Amino acid sequence: MSRFWKSRRIRAFIRNRTAIVGLVLAVFMVCVAIFAPFLAPYDPFVQNVHKALAPPGREHFFGTDDFGRDVFSRVIYGARISVLVGVSSVAVGTALGAMVGLAAGYFGGWFETIFMRLVDVLMSFPALLMGLMFLAILGPGLDKLIFAIGLVLAPQVARLAHSTTVALREMDYIAAAKASGAGPFRILFRHVLPNIGGEILVMATLWTATAIRVEANLSFIGLGVSPPTPTWGNMIREGVRWLVVTPWVSVFPGLAILVAVLAFNMLGDGIRDALDPRLYC
Amino acid sequence: MARYVIRRILVAFPTLLAVYTLVFLFIRVAPGDPAVAALGDYASAEAVQALRERMGLNTPLWVQYGATLLGYVRGDLGRSLITNISIGSQIAAVLPHTLELTFAGVLIGTIFGIPLGIIAAVHRNRLADYLSRVFSLAGISIPAFYLGILLILAFAVKLRWFPVMGAGDFSNPVENLRHLALPALALGIIMIAFVARMTRSCFLNVLREDYIRTARAKGLSERGVILLHSLRNALIPIAAVLGTQTALLIGDSVMTEIVFSRPGMGKLIVQAMLQRDYIALQSLIVVYASLVVVINLLTDLSYGVIDPRIRYE
Amino acid sequence: MKVRLLILGCWFLSIVATGQVLRIAFDAADLKTLDPHYAAATMDRAVVDMVFNGLVRYKPGDITVIEPDLALSWEVSEDGLIWTFYLRPGVSVHPFPGMPDGYELTSEDVVFSLIKAADPQRSAYAGEYTGMKFEAVDKYTVKIVLPQPISSALFLPKVANYSGGFIVPKRAYEELGPRFATNPVGTGPFRFKEYSPAQKVVLVRNEHYFRGTPKLEGVEIWYMPDVTARLSALLTGEVHVIEGVREQAWVEAVKRYPQVIVDVFGPGETEVLHINMTKRPFTDLRVRQAVAYAIDRNELVTAIGPDVAEPLCAAVPPYLPGGLTCAEVAERGLLYDVDLAKARELLAEAGYPEGFEISAYITERASYRKPFENIQAQLARVGIKLNITVVDHSSFHSLIRQDANPLVHYEAWRPSADAFLTRFYHSASRVVVGTKPDTNFSHVTDIDGLIEAARYELDTEKQIALWKEAQIKLLEEMASYPLYILKFVFCRSKSVDYGYELKSSLALYPSINELTTLK
Repeated sequence: MSRFWKSRRIRAFIRNRTAIVGLVLAVFMVCVAIFAPFLAPYDPFVQNVHKALAPPGREHFFGTDDFGRDVFSRVIYGARISVLVGVSSVAVGTALGAMVGLAAGYFGGWFETIFMRLVDVLMSFPALLMGLMFLAILGPGLDKLIFAIGLVLAPQVARLAHSTTVALREMDYIAAAKASGAGPFRILFRHVLPNIGGEILVMATLWTATAIRVEANLSFIGLGVSPPTPTWGNMIREGVRWLVVTPWVSVFPGLAILVAVLAFNMLGDGIRDALDPRLYC
Repeated sequence: MARYVIRRILVAFPTLLAVYTLVFLFIRVAPGDPAVAALGDYASAEAVQALRERMGLNTPLWVQYGATLLGYVRGDLGRSLITNISIGSQIAAVLPHTLELTFAGVLIGTIFGIPLGIIAAVHRNRLADYLSRVFSLAGISIPAFYLGILLILAFAVKLRWFPVMGAGDFSNPVENLRHLALPALALGIIMIAFVARMTRSCFLNVLREDYIRTARAKGLSERGVILLHSLRNALIPIAAVLGTQTALLIGDSVMTEIVFSRPGMGKLIVQAMLQRDYIALQSLIVVYASLVVVINLLTDLSYGVIDPRIRYE
Repeated sequence: MKVRLLILGCWFLSIVATGQVLRIAFDAADLKTLDPHYAAATMDRAVVDMVFNGLVRYKPGDITVIEPDLALSWEVSEDGLIWTFYLRPGVSVHPFPGMPDGYELTSEDVVFSLIKAADPQRSAYAGEYTGMKFEAVDKYTVKIVLPQPISSALFLPKVANYSGGFIVPKRAYEELGPRFATNPVGTGPFRFKEYSPAQKVVLVRNEHYFRGTPKLEGVEIWYMPDVTARLSALLTGEVHVIEGVREQAWVEAVKRYPQVIVDVFGPGETEVLHINMTKRPFTDLRVRQAVAYAIDRNELVTAIGPDVAEPLCAAVPPYLPGGLTCAEVAERGLLYDVDLAKARELLAEAGYPEGFEISAYITERASYRKPFENIQAQLARVGIKLNITVVDHSSFHSLIRQDANPLVHYEAWRPSADAFLTRFYHSASRVVVGTKPDTNFSHVTDIDGLIEAARYELDTEKQIALWKEAQIKLLEEMASYPLYILKFVFCRSKSVDYGYELKSSLALYPSINELTTLK
């Protein structure tokens, strides 16, 4: 990996203000998620129906929802699930997709034909529907939701990994490594992966944002994370019913999504700019 | 080129068969039952069983698989299990609206997204760049249904400029466009974000190329450099992104269709999924996948228009 | 000039004409079926209600009164076995492909329709008509022979404008076949014109309606699952009636718009928590009682709102003959008023001093999910940890019918005490194991005798006493905890006049009929 983390790039990254802002925001989000119990002023699960739909004020910064739960505390706790879903589903999707794409690109032949055809097939499904179908088969649950979103992203990663691997396959130094008797795993990990790792990292940060949005969309259809666990997605969904009446219930989790997506996108852009941008776009 | 097109179309058939097979299996593995969905909460088990029989769900799986496939060969997309309406006519009724909305969204995305991306690239790391990027990121980060509702509240309820719901008849172009405006904007804003991002990074690439440096050194004005040299070279990857995004838009416009009460493919697909309407879902997905194939082909062909040096074999 | 005037005139006319088409928007993504013998969901019942008639009907806006519809009069034999209906002559069936002028509805159609309603292959309500025989005496007379006499309170709903009682014209049904489900043909004030999937159904007025030509030109039924979109369309005047949110905070907020009238009406659906007595630890009566003492139905009513929800204390709602009021339940000491100490004590006695953990599925629909989420929080107070898994509505119904849940929250409306008790508490109706599996989620087996005795009891007072006794037994064994009755909420613009006073509606929406006007 030394090739990838050359200090020139790190310096380029640090010079990039957008990237630093993105990094700071993303770290902030992760911290909020980790330290939620210490940051939230109220228990996000305790209901008090007599205080339902109270407007934002000194007692409740972001008001209360229709069960009388504190929206501020729920937004903080929501970071846990939303960031978790975002990061881990992308990890699942990237790992799976990269594996298939790398192997297909490297080995070629019937293996490549079958798997890349499958990728084509999966990519001709609407993303939301694919999520719905995977969820229907896997059943409900946070782990399954993460897995389902990961599966939705995997074909896209596979295609990216595949095309770059194919481009690299014919390069001289790979041929040299092959000639020197290196096994396929050694070549993939030592020579191919470092070369496309940057791109995959960029895509992964961008897709983290996408995954957070997909969770929100699945929640809108009612198939997100089960109650009473708050996620920004299911908070927005609940709040949308009250949008005309009590906008705060959905506006604050909406803003939280906005900040999170901005953060991960800026981070991804920063990494992209710091690396040699020749291969992307 | 004709040979290229024919080959691409022939290659599409195995893909479509695989799509059909996957949907067929997926939806039957998923729990839920179209008979229960059709009869609703009040039905007795007896009635559910009778309906399952009528729907042909008790025949062996391979018979169900084959019967539908045979229908496709004959050009028959079958009938909905729930409403018994011909799926072909159902798609024919909504497809113009879906294509119209998608096209409008892509158009808005292109018209605003490409200039926005160019401005950002030319003024890299300056205020214009930051503003354009924050705007486009905001576009990506708002869930589509939320954006739609906000547009309704602002432009339909408050300002009364556009209607809230429905799609205008094609025979009345003015009404049609009035109904199209808000949903197209909702999709377009998301599209602008994607296109602007892509244009920016593609332009950054091209602006670094040697021939651009040469052109600059020759004393061409900045505007001349951009328009003459960069645009053509940056357009191909942008066209690629537009292609994939268009395909995704058709499926993902479902949120917009729901919020604006418009007829459309996305809505039919999700509805078929939730109702476990096996036959409708299979046919809708196969048609959708065919559309994706066509769009991908058109995208690839557009490269040749952008850059005549590209040949198709 | 002349031409211009003509154009102006046409334009003006078209404005007037469209001004008289009433648009109503429902909380649904699409219709399911418009065959009245299958229609069950609100948006489908609404269309069916406008297109079809029964032999008798519930008075519009008030379901406590039954009045003539297609039958002008009826009588019952002394032994209570034979009912005879005398049809209204000159009722015309809507035009349909094959008969562009329609035809006169006669006893042949009525007999055909009732036989269809009784056929499990062609009806979801066949169980209601088991053993009955239908016969056409002459063109305008229909005879129905019962296997056993039942009271008129139980019989008339079966031939009223509700579910199986809607009359489907024979020739239209035979002509259209399976297409009938999305091209309904009946005798009602409005006739079917077109259907755009996942968007709308268009009805136009039936000029030959036997109660007179409807005042509205037509009705459009729109499917708009997003409530903000529905409300927005109502505020801009694009629709005239919308299905609202059945929660008080929403009702009150919408009441603030001067151009909107909010109707909250009955009869309302019962919301009941069924406790599965075959699943540990609910096999123990003390655990079930602990659940009952832990739940505060008043808290639920507060959360939903007292104008929209009212407490329900027994299996059958008090507005039906045979239902029990909360006062009657209190008299017998079976109210299970919230008492957390007692709940904990009962749990400790049963061997669960620290409580226990269970998992249950619930549908994503708000009217189920919201109260369940509140119950989850309430049970947590006595140490019962309820893990909820949200699934889509269709999966939920499959799962609970496979006995997947220890606790089932169920929302229902049934036309009589007999239907409520039979379908939820008769041993034959037990999910999975019953002989006619239905919705007995609690696995009650010991009140079959009472249910059947009441069904065939002709003395109304004795019948009611039997029904009440059955419910008391259910409360004693705590097979289910009744929560509340949820009323319907619809909003309309000020320009809509339904043409009658709206107190309750069996079509589950504010019935639109020949008297409804739009100013």
